[in-house]
Amino acid sequence: MFWPIVRFEIGYHLKNPLLYVVGGLMGMLAFGAISSDTVQIGGAIGQVHRNAPMVIVRLLGMMTPIGLFIITAFVASSVQRDFERGTHELFFSRPVGKVRLLVGRFLGSMVVSALLFVGPILGAVCGNFAPWIDPERLGPFMISPYVWSFVALVVPNLVFMGGAFFTLAAVTRSMLATYMGVVGTLVVFGMSRALMGDLPGHTLSAILDPFGISTLRVQTRYWTIVEQNTALPELDSLLIVNRLLWMGIGLAVLALGIWWFDPARAKRARRVEPVDTGRLGFQGSLQPTTARRPPRPTLGFRLADNVKMLGHQIRFETASILRSGPFIVMLAFGVVNVIFATFFEEMINGTQSLPVTRLMLSSMNGGYLFILVVVVAFYAGESIWRDRTVKLAEVHDALPAPTWVFMAAKVWALLVVVAVFAGVGILATMGYQLFTGYTRLEPGLYASGVMLGVIPYALCAVLAVFVQVLTKSKFLGYVVMLLYLFLDDIYSALHMEHNLYRFPFLPRLVYSDMNGWGHYLEPYLWFTLYWVFLSVVLLAIGALFWVRGSETAWRFRWRLARQRLTAPARIALVVGLVGFVGTGAFIFYNTNILNEYLPDDERDRRRAEYESEYRTHMDLPFPRITAVRTDVDIFPTERRIEIRGKYALHNTTGERITEIHLSVSPEVTINEIELPPHAVTLDDRRLGYRICRLERPLKPDETVEMRFDLEVSNTGFVNNDPNDLVAANGTFFTSEDYLPTIGYNKQIELEDRNTRRKHDLTPERRYAAVDDLHALRNNELGADADLVEFSTTVSTTPDQVAIAPGYLQREWVEDGRRYFSYDMDTPIRNVYGFLSGDWEVRRDRWRDIAIEVYYHAPHDDNVERMIHSVKKSLEYCTSQFGPFQFRQVRILEFPRYRTFAMSLPNTIPYSEAIGFIARIEDEDDIDTVFYVTAHEVAHQWWAHQVLGADVQGANMITESLSQYTALMVMEQEYGRDTMRRFLKYELDRYLAGRGRDVQEEKPLLLVEQQPYIYYRKGSVVMYALRDYLGEDFVNRALARYVREVGFQDPPYTTSLELRAVLADEAPDGSEPLFEDMLDTITLFSNRVQGATWTPLEDGRYMVRLDVEAHKVRSDGAGVETEIPLDDWVDVGVFGADDSVLYLEKRHITGPVTTIEIAVEAVPDRAGIDPYNKLVDRDSDDNVMAVRKG
Amino acid sequence: MLTIEDLSKTYPNGVRALRDVTLEIPTGMFGLLGPNGAGKSTLMRTIATLQEPDSGSITLNGIDVLRDKEKVREILGYLPQEFGVYPKVTAGAMLDHFAILKGITASGERRDVVDGLLRMTNLWDVRTQKLGTFSGGMRQRFGIAQALLGDPKLLIVDEPTAGLDPQERNRFLNLLSDIGENVVVILSTHIVDDVTELCTRMAIISEGRLLLTGDPREVIDDLRGMIWRKVVAKQEIAEIAARVSVISSRLLAGRTILHVHSADRPGEGFEQVEPDLEDVYFTILKRQPQAA
Repeated sequence: MFWPIVRFEIGYHLKNPLLYVVGGLMGMLAFGAISSDTVQIGGAIGQVHRNAPMVIVRLLGMMTPIGLFIITAFVASSVQRDFERGTHELFFSRPVGKVRLLVGRFLGSMVVSALLFVGPILGAVCGNFAPWIDPERLGPFMISPYVWSFVALVVPNLVFMGGAFFTLAAVTRSMLATYMGVVGTLVVFGMSRALMGDLPGHTLSAILDPFGISTLRVQTRYWTIVEQNTALPELDSLLIVNRLLWMGIGLAVLALGIWWFDPARAKRARRVEPVDTGRLGFQGSLQPTTARRPPRPTLGFRLADNVKMLGHQIRFETASILRSGPFIVMLAFGVVNVIFATFFEEMINGTQSLPVTRLMLSSMNGGYLFILVVVVAFYAGESIWRDRTVKLAEVHDALPAPTWVFMAAKVWALLVVVAVFAGVGILATMGYQLFTGYTRLEPGLYASGVMLGVIPYALCAVLAVFVQVLTKSKFLGYVVMLLYLFLDDIYSALHMEHNLYRFPFLPRLVYSDMNGWGHYLEPYLWFTLYWVFLSVVLLAIGALFWVRGSETAWRFRWRLARQRLTAPARIALVVGLVGFVGTGAFIFYNTNILNEYLPDDERDRRRAEYESEYRTHMDLPFPRITAVRTDVDIFPTERRIEIRGKYALHNTTGERITEIHLSVSPEVTINEIELPPHAVTLDDRRLGYRICRLERPLKPDETVEMRFDLEVSNTGFVNNDPNDLVAANGTFFTSEDYLPTIGYNKQIELEDRNTRRKHDLTPERRYAAVDDLHALRNNELGADADLVEFSTTVSTTPDQVAIAPGYLQREWVEDGRRYFSYDMDTPIRNVYGFLSGDWEVRRDRWRDIAIEVYYHAPHDDNVERMIHSVKKSLEYCTSQFGPFQFRQVRILEFPRYRTFAMSLPNTIPYSEAIGFIARIEDEDDIDTVFYVTAHEVAHQWWAHQVLGADVQGANMITESLSQYTALMVMEQEYGRDTMRRFLKYELDRYLAGRGRDVQEEKPLLLVEQQPYIYYRKGSVVMYALRDYLGEDFVNRALARYVREVGFQDPPYTTSLELRAVLADEAPDGSEPLFEDMLDTITLFSNRVQGATWTPLEDGRYMVRLDVEAHKVRSDGAGVETEIPLDDWVDVGVFGADDSVLYLEKRHITGPVTTIEIAVEAVPDRAGIDPYNKLVDRDSDDNVMAVRKG
Repeated sequence: MLTIEDLSKTYPNGVRALRDVTLEIPTGMFGLLGPNGAGKSTLMRTIATLQEPDSGSITLNGIDVLRDKEKVREILGYLPQEFGVYPKVTAGAMLDHFAILKGITASGERRDVVDGLLRMTNLWDVRTQKLGTFSGGMRQRFGIAQALLGDPKLLIVDEPTAGLDPQERNRFLNLLSDIGENVVVILSTHIVDDVTELCTRMAIISEGRLLLTGDPREVIDDLRGMIWRKVVAKQEIAEIAARVSVISSRLLAGRTILHVHSADRPGEGFEQVEPDLEDVYFTILKRQPQAA
């Protein structure tokens, strides 16, 4: 009598269409994830195969939370349905026994839940064989990842979810309470994901995740491409703990539930108690009833009456939603979610940002408002089908209130729900702001931000109502709305990028504190209007086909629709359609006629075409720019700039030059380009390339002048990727953006390996080898200049200040515009920028160097820190590396459309998203402001003085040395302990970056366009070198390097030369160190196996450490080979108060070593490489507590 | 005056709910009798603007019911056979809600109407209780209250006395007859006595066909002298039924009473009885042609 129960249960659920619908959807999702770039689950990027084992594992892992709701429905139904149908007495009175029955049903529902995963597994397997997949992105088909995921992820997750929700449903007998439990689980899941945002939270995050997804993320965080492509995660302690913990919880709760379950309770369950009214029957039965009949009321059916009806209906509908359980659950879930999102918003190196209102808005958009899709879709179905479900429809439908009143009230109620949700979000985030002591509340911004932010959900509400009106059942309506969740992906899959047909989505909206809603607002509002008109049409159609009465056949609905097509309906339809087409036409005029509509693919294609067409010209002889003089007029409100200027072009080649090639961004309108007499033999405006054949060739050493008159205008608005460089407040563009380049511009080349392949380019972007002598002629910034003379005037509106590199010579007002003239008195690198904004200025000075920070007035929290960092950095650099070439350092804030800081000559543009709003309060916080500023100041040496040739390793010179400098300045200010924490983040980001490299990993010395290497590994390696060699050695070498190659002419220096200088200054025997750190990808695996102490007779303590150490070399893909150890590694012993009892380098030669150290005080912790100076994939096992032996 | 002409309706599953029904319903109480599935509810829903016929027309005092649905709803009161409520709303609030949608938008007037109807249906004392707690009878009374909102000129009540106890039923019928003096009241029921007691006109339908319409007294008169009764034992029934037209059989204290329709005495032991509407009803049903 046990197996029949299981069989019956399985058969019962197999009849549920939900199983097939959801299984099918999950299958499609998995298929899409494996076979296309559209669905991004699993992380198949770069050289990671689309079907890499790790991708499959992550994909199937993610399916469990997706399937959570449906699995809950299965298990809950197993225990609840008897009570809903009143058949419980039938079942529980049988001699089956409670335990058998419940266990049988549980097993049955578990089997069906497991069957649900046949969908995604089949989908993923089929994805392997999709004919359109680039075969290079596909690894061999393997069964093991599917099995592994099923056994290690899906089954334990099912046990947990099944056990927990079976019991919850059995005990509470309420679907609502059960789904509350689901929401709670998702909150825990969300918490664990949020904890991933910060390094120290990783272990907790790994244990806390009920689905084991974060556990895998922590475990495989540092996996290389090869590992991802070939290996499956080991069942290591963390994973086992997590799996056992949650399975245990599931089973324990299940057992508890079965024990506690009392079928008899159902008999006493709440039942509707009839109310005894005392007097049955109708009053007035003894007298003529007319005597008590109410007065005859006046009935009103004019518009005013209908409006009253509408008002009443809205209140009625709204209240029914706001009071209902699921709404409250989802709201609570949302609030918890938004607080978490807020906490980790724009966190850098574990340092939080100030909770400025725009961050609150963005965490609301990210972690909160999207829940509205579910709320709105759910309640649209509930409210439209409610009357039919409770059998009240016939009463309502026979009432004289017009149909539009019923429908409008439902739509309106959904809008009110959206508003309430948004309002609660505002309260929650404002509360968060106040709770964290931040009082600069911006109610106006909250209001506008939320109002704009909820528009998509309001549109979704209309869509949901429309869908529910037209579909034959609520369930079908929900399925259609479920598709909505994937609509965005579907559009992307079909390369549907034009917002005109991406209903109901709106273009991106970005708020900048500096520039407000800026140029994003106008298109957003136009598209809103466009969809609102469509909504009117949809609602009109909805009203025509609204089911009123019992006819649901389309034959009759058409007949009724024709009857209902009266004047008001026609007017609504016509107004909606005309408005829709009209705004659509206006938008099209803006996006496709005033501007060019460029889908992503087309942008890529043009870059690819540029490369394949013109790269051949790269090595032709061209003159170099030796002087730049520009007049730049910035019109911020019109978002227009005019650039007039001239280059002095000098023939440095020693050959006669007959052609001058120019690359000018296609965004730039060329009014005129003047050169000595020439013929334009090619003028490719689409890709931005022009060839001018000179009538008289340019002789060696001859200089000519090139004049240009350019314009960048932004008329109307574009569909996607608006021009962010020219903004109403906070314009910032560089010479690389808009000024002409002589010859081929390598910056335009596509980076991503797969995109390159798609456009028939070589997969690897061709980077010149470090020993390519020919390439040494050019520096990293471009092939068209060495050092240049620079002067400019910049003009802007009178309320703004315009800035460019150089020293201010004169400022004047002319024709209502404000002019600034800047001159550089020393030659600079050929990179400069122009900014215009309405700033506050804080001035200071260090010795005779002026320091100025131009900042957005409310962003004054960290300005002093920046100035302080500039001073400290100048002091360090001048004392250690050599003199500063300028008399001024300026920092300028620009809008957050781009999030970086950049070092131009004596000018540092600095995004408002970094630094300016960092929250540094605790002593433990890593001062990112100080760090970023120091890094940028260091660039004035490492880039503007010493600049590498455009070959591999160039970024080691500019970026790794700037990182090193910033670390040193920071260490002086904050001490070694802070550096240790900072470096832990750097190491983490380096190791995590390895598995995501779209090319292949290079050693630091040969680094290409790989930020995770030249920044992150650069920091770790340079800090370790400093530690091994000593700061004096390193700085002496660097100072010498600056002296030897600073401001040099071609040929340019390379990382090989830097290495040689370092090696030359370093003590003997350092060569192996350079080899590990610079020449190769070397990883250590150091670990303490045991640590004990025993008291010595002389009062000291003997510490005995068993350490394990390995050293491996990795190739670019991550294939590792172990090499013998012969290294000096830190060994440390620490006291209880963190005091250092012992810290010295010990020579480690074998994988297992025992070290004995005598220390003065009772040891607390000890370990090998305790400060994580070496690149070690598990940096947490280097130290352990010392036990008394 | 409600005029129904050639009304036909076939459901997608092939059931012919109405077959060329032509009927005139004057002011006053009109009873609609018929077995389950006869098409009563379809007819009533169609008149109540809730359902579309395949063909035919309905006119109410010059209003085309099938087209000018809004006009009909303005003067309609409708109590469906089966209806639910929002369980968490109170009776008072729900009735007020219906009143607004009925067009009683002036709040003072509406309060009077709602209060009056709550008193009239004896729900006044429970007006603040949630509808979910109501018993079947209370719920039915609530349904009657909502149907009476706004003094409808056309009142359609589908099986209104179901679920009422005999006393309640009586009083409700009183109320209806009172209203029925100057409006059209259509009452469908399977309780023949309801019609006898109340209605000035009636119709019998079965399998979508209108079998009879007329004044209940007249149709009863038509049968006078043709109904015979005999108390028999169970085993005799078959033998009698084979010989004569048995229109009904009913148990009384363990024995069976047969009613037989016959111009002459059908046999030994039969006594003539005064016909009632039930005899008419069963005679008519018996006589109807088998469905083609």
